[in-house]
Amino acid sequence: MTELLIKNGFVFDPINGINGEKMDIAVKNGKIVKSVNERKAKVIDATGLTVMPGGVDIHTHIAGAEVNTGRLMRPEDHVKDVVRKTALTRSGVGYSVPSTFVTGYRYSKMGYTMIMNPSMPPLEAKHTHEELNDTPMLDKATYPLLGDWWFVLEYLRKGDLTECARYVAWMIATTKGYAIKIVNPGGLESWGFGRNVRTIDDQVPYFGITPRDIMCGLAKVNKMLNLPHTIHVHTNNLGLPGNYLTTLDTMRALESVATGDKPVAHITHLQFSSFAGNDWGTMRSGAEEITKYINAHNHLTFDMGQVIFTDTTTMTADGPFEFTLYELSGHKWVNSDVETETSGGIIPFHYKRNNAVNATQWSIALELALLVKDPWKMFLTTDHPNGGPFFAYPKIIAWLISKRARMATLKKCHKKAQKLSLLPSIKREFTLYDIAIVTRAGQAKALGLKDKGHLGVGADADIAIYDINPEKIDIAKKYKAVRRAFGSAAYTIKDGEIVVKDGEIVKHVDGRTIWLDVKTAEQVKVDEEMKRRFKEYWTVEYDNYPVFDHYVKVSCPLTIKADV
Amino acid sequence: MVVVKSVTCPICGSLCDDIELTIENNEVVKVKNGCALCESKFLGYKGEHRIKTPLIRKDGKLMPVSLDEAIHKAAEILANANYPILYGWSSTSCEAQRIGVELAEEIGGVIDNTAVVCHGPSILSVQEVGIPTCTLGQIRHRADLIIYWGCDPWSAHPRHLERYTAFTEGRFEKSDWKGYIQKVKAAAGKKKIESAVRRGVVKRPKAQPMLQHELVNAPPPTLMKEGRKLIVVDARKSMTAEMADYFIQVEPNKDYEVMQAIRALIRDQELDVDKVGGVPVEYLEEVADAMVNCNFGVIFFGMGLTQTAGKFRNIEVAISLIRDLNKRTKFVIMPMRGHFNVTGANVVFTWQSGYPYGVDFSLGYPRYNPGETTCMDILLRGESDATLVIAADPGATFPRRAVEHMAKTPLIVIDPHMNATAMLGDVVIPSAFVGIESEGTAYRMDHVPLPLKKVVDPPKGLLSDEEILRRILEEVRAIKAKKMREAEAA
Amino acid sequence: MIVLSPLKKFQFPVIAECISPDIFKGKSLAEIAKLEVWEGNKQRTLGDLFKIEEDKAETPDIVINGDASEVRFVGKAMKSGEIVINGVIGMHLGEKMAGGKITVNGDAGGWAGAEMKGGLIEIHGNAGDYLASPYRGSSAGMRGGTIIVDGNVGSDSGVYMRGGVIKIRGSAKQFLGFRMVDGTIYVQKECGTRVGACMTGGKIVVGGFLEEVMPTFTIDSIKPKVKIDDAESANGPFYVFLGDLAEEGRGKLFVSKPANPHLSSYEKFL
Repeated sequence: MTELLIKNGFVFDPINGINGEKMDIAVKNGKIVKSVNERKAKVIDATGLTVMPGGVDIHTHIAGAEVNTGRLMRPEDHVKDVVRKTALTRSGVGYSVPSTFVTGYRYSKMGYTMIMNPSMPPLEAKHTHEELNDTPMLDKATYPLLGDWWFVLEYLRKGDLTECARYVAWMIATTKGYAIKIVNPGGLESWGFGRNVRTIDDQVPYFGITPRDIMCGLAKVNKMLNLPHTIHVHTNNLGLPGNYLTTLDTMRALESVATGDKPVAHITHLQFSSFAGNDWGTMRSGAEEITKYINAHNHLTFDMGQVIFTDTTTMTADGPFEFTLYELSGHKWVNSDVETETSGGIIPFHYKRNNAVNATQWSIALELALLVKDPWKMFLTTDHPNGGPFFAYPKIIAWLISKRARMATLKKCHKKAQKLSLLPSIKREFTLYDIAIVTRAGQAKALGLKDKGHLGVGADADIAIYDINPEKIDIAKKYKAVRRAFGSAAYTIKDGEIVVKDGEIVKHVDGRTIWLDVKTAEQVKVDEEMKRRFKEYWTVEYDNYPVFDHYVKVSCPLTIKADV
Repeated sequence: MVVVKSVTCPICGSLCDDIELTIENNEVVKVKNGCALCESKFLGYKGEHRIKTPLIRKDGKLMPVSLDEAIHKAAEILANANYPILYGWSSTSCEAQRIGVELAEEIGGVIDNTAVVCHGPSILSVQEVGIPTCTLGQIRHRADLIIYWGCDPWSAHPRHLERYTAFTEGRFEKSDWKGYIQKVKAAAGKKKIESAVRRGVVKRPKAQPMLQHELVNAPPPTLMKEGRKLIVVDARKSMTAEMADYFIQVEPNKDYEVMQAIRALIRDQELDVDKVGGVPVEYLEEVADAMVNCNFGVIFFGMGLTQTAGKFRNIEVAISLIRDLNKRTKFVIMPMRGHFNVTGANVVFTWQSGYPYGVDFSLGYPRYNPGETTCMDILLRGESDATLVIAADPGATFPRRAVEHMAKTPLIVIDPHMNATAMLGDVVIPSAFVGIESEGTAYRMDHVPLPLKKVVDPPKGLLSDEEILRRILEEVRAIKAKKMREAEAA
Repeated sequence: MIVLSPLKKFQFPVIAECISPDIFKGKSLAEIAKLEVWEGNKQRTLGDLFKIEEDKAETPDIVINGDASEVRFVGKAMKSGEIVINGVIGMHLGEKMAGGKITVNGDAGGWAGAEMKGGLIEIHGNAGDYLASPYRGSSAGMRGGTIIVDGNVGSDSGVYMRGGVIKIRGSAKQFLGFRMVDGTIYVQKECGTRVGACMTGGKIVVGGFLEEVMPTFTIDSIKPKVKIDDAESANGPFYVFLGDLAEEGRGKLFVSKPANPHLSSYEKFL
């Protein structure tokens, strides 16, 4: 392994409290070390450059059955963004649902080194992992969808949290997952018969359980299992006017699980859950109410789900929500329910500036980000590709660091949205330190990834270097230069190797798949009874269900010791 | 003697994974749980036409050669081609398909799978209107209206009904197996009477009219019954149709009109015609009623829809019907994929290149336009200058003109069998049977991935498709690197 | 005027998006000869594949003489100028064309005038399938301009059409004007079935034999003649159908009465 010395850069490492200090970072055997032999090490002169930990994305749909069906249905999207093969890299297509290789390359070019794929139907987990194997340059992990799994619904109904926890542990290890993903709890099971739930206290048909029971139950299970991340929640009523009330109910319900200041839930793509108003005509932002609550409580983190004005592809396990979009738009529509577990839907969608709803959505996400005082609670995402493709992140960074950038975009938006937007009243501009929190440090912390998101000794040597000189430029004024710099890293270093230089891939690496091997004191008993039940619930054999070791190219299990 | 449980059957898109095999002396001697197709594959796959050694055509005759020589020859053909095509892929593992796409990219070729002659049209229509679908278990647990349109699972996917649809016990819907048994008994009784009539033992009872003609104004009693209902729509009375609660016989090539008429009826539109595709509009109204009033309905469709006049527009209209129905109730649709891993081929091609079949890498990036970049069209226009066929037999199934062009240009065949294509081949590389002699992954018709097992060893010296392709790819890269060095030296 | 003549009969597809007046404009012969094209999987220059000559005449801007049946994407997205092809031309002729004129003295391959926005394409031979239709998965049909085909056209022509005029002097295969939204299609001779299926607006005129009208069309009236464009109208009488009812559409389908006596049963609804 080569030794590396990154000299004299402006280092932003929020986990270690380093805010733009000029310093050297030493790397050996893929880890950050105290020092290296300067004469033997490869030296990167980072004078005048910004050095950050590699980017971490807590929520991005890049692999698996749903994503791939999105790819399949959008040839007209691919044809406008093609990527040629080079001596080092594979060919592919891009835009809203890029092919796997292109996904890896494009993240890496932006200085990202770790991504979380948030939506894995357990039954189709092998598919997700096969695609992750073909997504190079990045470490990755994936969340199994567990909120509407019959086992969970049945044990929670019985009130048997311990047994529920054991099965969840079994499922996470079996599918090689990383966290408990909950999507429209109760709504997906209801969608099996074309129905939905409308409040967190609605009964799920045939199961005698409510969304509140599911979320609080799984949040408790999450604690009992000592999982590194919290439950990862996509709220009920997502994408509907007036849903901020449901979101507030959800956040309040989760207070009951909280102890101390530790987060117990991550509310994902919060923008889509922060609509006020009674219908599409009166739809407006609920960001003020939502952020007021979040500022007063410490049991939650969230990510933005920023909307980008472009043609993209929406995809989520929230089948009923995608059906609503289909009814609204009449676009081509995929629905894909998965037996015993979850559902899913896909619709192409074009967010337009001159559409009042879309422009309001754009504003909401930024309002949420800017009104929440503590940046450690808030992370930058587009819910790729739902709000827009991930390679638009530099645009969001520009909006966050520069009021001027936000206003330039707002000026071009629908008049009604302009009038309703809170953005003109918000002065706050993020610093590079804030950006480092919301694009890597905070995300790594929320995920419980101890070796990621920082540059302290012992951390993984995943590093991004950007051509930004904070001493020389006022980033709020020169936001365009900052945007360019974040779109095309000067260097991306993955596990101590330079993989991107000047925005071009210079080395192909595979990256690892990180998953949790959750050890419960007593494990799920795999006996004939279990296999029989399995046969009743699914249409595949128990023996063929797990993601076997060979389905993960570079496997990186983390052993977790549970309390049960 | 060893018993291997939970084996996935590598034949049809149903991908039953509960097969139990008894192995003795490296041979499958007993098959449990499988259908007739499954048994004949596991017990009979060794058959007489197995290729035992790699072959290369020399002076017009296929001669045995070493594997290295065959691999080198194949790689040389591919590395030097200007517009090669790589066809087949549906009866091999996803692992082999992955290398296939990489190989196609490396040589700037066109990679295409057999979907193009079965369910390619289904994919084209998904690209136009999407598809509301689900995994098969959803249907088992919830469907109370099951429609097979232009397909005959009883013959082509024999365990489909018993594992996934009408004759399976679900959480919310029960098996209609008993109803079927009663019907079989009634039919047997009818046959007895008929035979008695023929033999002159009893007098002919009043003529039993065809089901269709019974119901000019009344719905067929079978559509009024409680529980699961099975409707079959086809151009001929298939085995599955015999079992159905209601069978609609549509004139050949008129499915499009029938489906579109049902769409209009669901919207309460009045039609100016009395019959559509030979079916009285009243009957279609009954079907439309049954559709709107079910709790969870499903249409399975087969090549009776995808390969008849209208092709992908037939599927488009079927999906449009399902889209409309979802505004009234829950309805899904699913193609009955034939080859066991044709779905996997589409899945793998798509995640690597963005496109499901007919992917043209000649410009260095993937390009897709069925009709232009699909294998059969390329062969018919005579554009290709080399072909690799793996796990398919276009020599037996393609039109003559296409086969002629394929035979005229260098042809590489990777297959366990000496099939019609292999006999035309210039390089023939025998492979192990995937799912029997080598392992891998396959995708069921509803996109559920399942592992394929290796239960016996392949004959000595035979490699899996995956290994053969990897070696060809390595050899192609070596040849290209050598060429590059020579060019630089010059 | 630049005259291009293929140097050989092409076996492999030739991707030649560069053959367009907008791109040739202001370039010397040498520069034109260096433009990038692909032949199969090999990158070539235009000069490798075509004899390139300059002619004194001002118009047309580009002439292709000879068999160009494998040459694809000629005139892609062209905005102005004129191309004349004396021979057969390959697929995607004038795709996404916005202005100018293309004349083909011969047949054209599939997807001619695909996603066209403006300009004029005249094909004096036959055209392939998907004339003026969008790319796979797209609903961006023809928006404007005129296409005139003297011969016959294949299936699925004018799909998702939103504007402009297509005149077919010969016959058309099935699914003509599928999902049409607006615009006019006139086919003078026989027309394949499923014409106008799923159309929601626009006008299709069939002057010849039509085996069957989609069952989801309803008869509206009989009209003596119908206007095609400012320069042309077609004489009937025509049965006028409205549809497609399955899409609750209000498209108009004119079908010649004299050529289709078997449709007289519809008259009882008038």
